[in-house]
Amino acid sequence: MDSFNLFLQFLANGVVNGSGYVLVAVGLTLIFGILGVVNFAHGEFYMLGGYAAVTAAYFLGWGLLPTFLIVAVALGLFGILSERIVFRPLAGKDATNAIIASFGLSVLLQNGALLVFGAQPQTLRLDGMAQTAFQIGPVFLTGQRVLIVLATLVLVSILMLVLRYTWTGRALRAMAQHPMVAQISGVHVRRVSVVTFAVGAALAGIAGGLMSAVFMVQPTSGSMLVLKAFTVVILGGMGSVGGAVTAGLLLGIIEAMVSGYLGNELRDMIGFFLVIVMLLVRPQGLFGRITERS
Amino acid sequence: MYRIFSRALAGAGALGLACALMAAPAAAQDTVKLGVMLPLSGPAALAGTSIIEGVRFAAEEANAKGGVLGKQVELFIENDEGSSTKGVTAVRKLIESDGVVGISGTYVSAVALAASKVAREFHVPMVSAGSTSSNVTDANEPGDPWFFRAFPGSVEQARQSAEDIVHKLGAKRVAIIQENSIYGSSLADQLKKDVEAAGGEIIAIETYNPDERDFYSVLTKLRTQKPEAIYMAGLMDAGAQIIKQSREVGMDTQLVGSGSMMSDKLIELAGPASEGFAVSSMFEPSTPNPVGQAFTERFRAQFNKEPDVYSALGYDSMNVLIEAVRRAGKADGAAIQQALMHMDDFPLVQGPADTTAKFDAQGSVPFKIGLAIVKNGKREWLPFD
Repeated sequence: MDSFNLFLQFLANGVVNGSGYVLVAVGLTLIFGILGVVNFAHGEFYMLGGYAAVTAAYFLGWGLLPTFLIVAVALGLFGILSERIVFRPLAGKDATNAIIASFGLSVLLQNGALLVFGAQPQTLRLDGMAQTAFQIGPVFLTGQRVLIVLATLVLVSILMLVLRYTWTGRALRAMAQHPMVAQISGVHVRRVSVVTFAVGAALAGIAGGLMSAVFMVQPTSGSMLVLKAFTVVILGGMGSVGGAVTAGLLLGIIEAMVSGYLGNELRDMIGFFLVIVMLLVRPQGLFGRITERS
Repeated sequence: MYRIFSRALAGAGALGLACALMAAPAAAQDTVKLGVMLPLSGPAALAGTSIIEGVRFAAEEANAKGGVLGKQVELFIENDEGSSTKGVTAVRKLIESDGVVGISGTYVSAVALAASKVAREFHVPMVSAGSTSSNVTDANEPGDPWFFRAFPGSVEQARQSAEDIVHKLGAKRVAIIQENSIYGSSLADQLKKDVEAAGGEIIAIETYNPDERDFYSVLTKLRTQKPEAIYMAGLMDAGAQIIKQSREVGMDTQLVGSGSMMSDKLIELAGPASEGFAVSSMFEPSTPNPVGQAFTERFRAQFNKEPDVYSALGYDSMNVLIEAVRRAGKADGAAIQQALMHMDDFPLVQGPADTTAKFDAQGSVPFKIGLAIVKNGKREWLPFD
């Protein structure tokens, strides 16, 4: 019974961390799937979201929802800005250019954050209920951790509905499937590009804000996370939102189990190991489709 | 033919030397050049940016008193980002391009180990600015150290912590959570030996990567093994997380931290969970060491805040280096190294009263380390006994 309780706790830990991966990876996979841009600065969107939340909470002192609304808007705008300044001028050129530019943006943002916010870790203080730890059966959790899972659930559901049923969502999917045909059918490419970056950055930002309450935020917070998010994207299938959700949760849970049963030092390794295996066995990922390109 | 060639070469060499001699006095007369290398960005930036305040403070104080050898001290600061590759580049730049005669640095043990090998080749002494692992001073030739550490290394720190855990805190079943680095492993390996020697038992050793922030799985696992104390060998930010999360998963085990966790920021980040947390402490603003007290007062007046162990480490490192230049009588690496080995009467701000920079044959100063315990949101200093 004791070992089963332990298993439940590991599972809960995995779901919490996995939810964070999902929020970051979904934006990453959208940007990749729709625009073909490999964005290494995505982890910095996450990091900036953390700082946006801390700053907004510090200066405005509003409640949870307004704070995260500000984070979403701020990071959405930031996503649009980086699309306009960094990625749009490179569109249509060799994809390597955008990869290198995104690396540059990542270094720039990390060091910029170090200058502005300093190296000290900051934490988002959520009052009341969110701070307290509680116990469900044998599983220990905090309000903040539950909040991450709930927020992921809500945001991903909304995203999937938007992609499925709205005109914008259809335009995004059309772009992902075949840019040229989408363009011929009247999809405004630039608008799609802007919307994708805005949504991707806003999701990463919200993830960063939520995580800053639990794990604190530092200028380097995003650097490992973006690699994890990439493994999630590859495992789930490049460009597949459903794949990113499944693979994100799965990676979180696998990491928790590995660190619980095998040894914590193996935790960061396992994701990358799985990616190599996946690329060898099923290169298109769990949910990816092999598409014939003419 | 050969002779003509060699004569031309000698001529060119002489010309080069003449140029160097003409250029050198202009620069050398102005200042005594000392290098500083610290992680000012990257994962260890938190420590690096605090240490440098102490380093600068020591240099400013010396300069206000007229400098050393009649010249002002000029600092050349390099950011090693906590990376060994960057550290080797930084130490080369300091020596070859800036022409420093001594270096204060660095904080990350692995970087100090890599950089100290380069500095030794160039005969430029280094004085640690926070690196704890004994591996770095063990790499010195006994009796001829080029890397100096004006505070105890991991061997002494772990030995003291082991005794404190078993005797002062009364814990026999001890678990270790260590950072995956030579800092973490050198402390953990030594602590394991010493806890067992003191009659305790190590029941688990867990390792984490430096940027890890989620310890729920590790802590839940440790909870089932019921340790009486958990020793954490790692940096401050991870320590704050472990403390906070251990309370969240329902543990009330005594937590003991390595020297890097001796920071007010940790108490702030971990919040009420830090109550009862014990940490190795080499310096507190409330130190019984009169030299340390005087330092605290001057630091307060200058920066309008409390000094911490980082500012004290930086201050001692640069202060010792400047004094060594004064005793050497010339700005020359080898002379400074000789002077550093005879600093037995030079007081340090860290450690108990009457602590001096008495470097042993390995280049370390094994003074007594204290233990501080957090009570009511403040560290309370248990005297060095």
